[in-house]
Amino acid sequence: MKLMKKLAFMAVAILALGTSASGDKLDKIISKGKIRCGVVLDFPPMGYRDAKNKPAGFDVEYCKDLSKALGVELELKSMSFAQRLPALNAGKVDVVIGSTSDTLARAKSAGFSIPYFVFKLQVMVKKDAGINSFADLKGKKVTAALSTTPETEFLKNAKDMGWDSSNYFSSKSESDTHLALLQGKADAIITTDTTIVELLKSDKYKDYVAGPFVPNYDDFVSIIVKRTEYGMINYMNLFIHQQVRTGRYEELNKMFYGNSPVRKLTVDGIYY
Amino acid sequence: MFDIDYTFHWITVWNVFPEMLSAALVTLEVAITSMIVGLIIAIFLALGKDSKNELFRTPAVVWIEIARNTPALFQIYMAYFGLGAFGIHLSPYIAVLAALIFNNAGYLAETLRGGFAAIPRTQMSASRSLGMTVFQTYRHIILPQVLRIVYHPMTNQMIWSILMTSLGTLVGMLELTGKTDQLQSLSFRTFEFYMVAAMMYFVIAKLVLLGSKLLSRRLFRGDA
Repeated sequence: MKLMKKLAFMAVAILALGTSASGDKLDKIISKGKIRCGVVLDFPPMGYRDAKNKPAGFDVEYCKDLSKALGVELELKSMSFAQRLPALNAGKVDVVIGSTSDTLARAKSAGFSIPYFVFKLQVMVKKDAGINSFADLKGKKVTAALSTTPETEFLKNAKDMGWDSSNYFSSKSESDTHLALLQGKADAIITTDTTIVELLKSDKYKDYVAGPFVPNYDDFVSIIVKRTEYGMINYMNLFIHQQVRTGRYEELNKMFYGNSPVRKLTVDGIYY
Repeated sequence: MFDIDYTFHWITVWNVFPEMLSAALVTLEVAITSMIVGLIIAIFLALGKDSKNELFRTPAVVWIEIARNTPALFQIYMAYFGLGAFGIHLSPYIAVLAALIFNNAGYLAETLRGGFAAIPRTQMSASRSLGMTVFQTYRHIILPQVLRIVYHPMTNQMIWSILMTSLGTLVGMLELTGKTDQLQSLSFRTFEFYMVAAMMYFVIAKLVLLGSKLLSRRLFRGDA
């Protein structure tokens, strides 16, 4: 009887070890059977709500592909651009596939994968606003979403050109920039070329056009996870590589970007 | 057990602390201005609500009811985005100031009404019979008593005002919360920045409380 008790105790201990909190995030996701994926849904066509108000978009498809690859259930969490890194570091999500640009400042606080998409930063203005080059933005009221690369790149360029930044204001989210532009609170908004194309398809923006590009900047975006989760980072890198290798990247490009050319995710002269 | 593997970088906050301090001054500025202007308007609203003349009563009632029964956030949004839809563009600072004046006036009006109710009506008749005008009576006799009565509820409202300015961040105003949000978005050290901002609000509230205690001792000298 005593031997049985000992064996039972050992069995329980071994089982407890198996499900203990000593594995890394990847282990936890697999054993929990669920992944929480953060997405930004006011940034079409990477993330938006479709006609039935369901999350849709390139980023949302990548979340679905990821959960399928891991063999776990997907839980999507919608957030604004400014909430991505805080949500990740607070443990509210396991991974964020939300078009997060891979800046060195952010890399101090989050773990970045290899790029999975690339944008050009562009200005959106009213048709007759007379803004034809980046320099025409001087003195105009400009806004972009808080903490995004459109914001940091605009302010960097403005500083290089010697403009004062008092005409710039941050909007709390991407959808706030849309509201600011439509209400005339801003003369121009800085965002990505892809979302401008998408927004201009709707009637609301019939008086608006795509304006000049923000010079000399390719906006590479990555999947982000907690900075200390190396297992996750490695898995994301392989996942992204596989998405391209298997043709899924091209397939989704066609689905969301029609016939526009598939974008190259590498930089010449250096590994990725 | 706890999924916390976050290392705090307090130095990032310390490097930009002066900016947070000047934003805290903006917060105080807005809170104090909205209290003072709100109080002045509240006096008229309180008298208006109790007046027998419908021309004064209706606007006063409408103002007080809307101010007290809708969220302050809603009032700020209306001042900034709502007016914006009609083409009236207030800067975030003015929009928040206007909304908080609106809000404070409504709440203070109710507090003042309680104060006015505590003053016997006979005081007005007595001072009128001595030849003082209505205005003089209010100025020298009734209002000083009312202010004494409502002073402590008003300090509550003052602290409430300070904390409500934090909603200004949602319309882009650079008071303490807005500035904190902007600074943490550059370095992504959310926890550190918000913890420091919370402590700053706490300290500001306590300082205002202390200031009001000292002020009350000066204003109401000779009282029990």
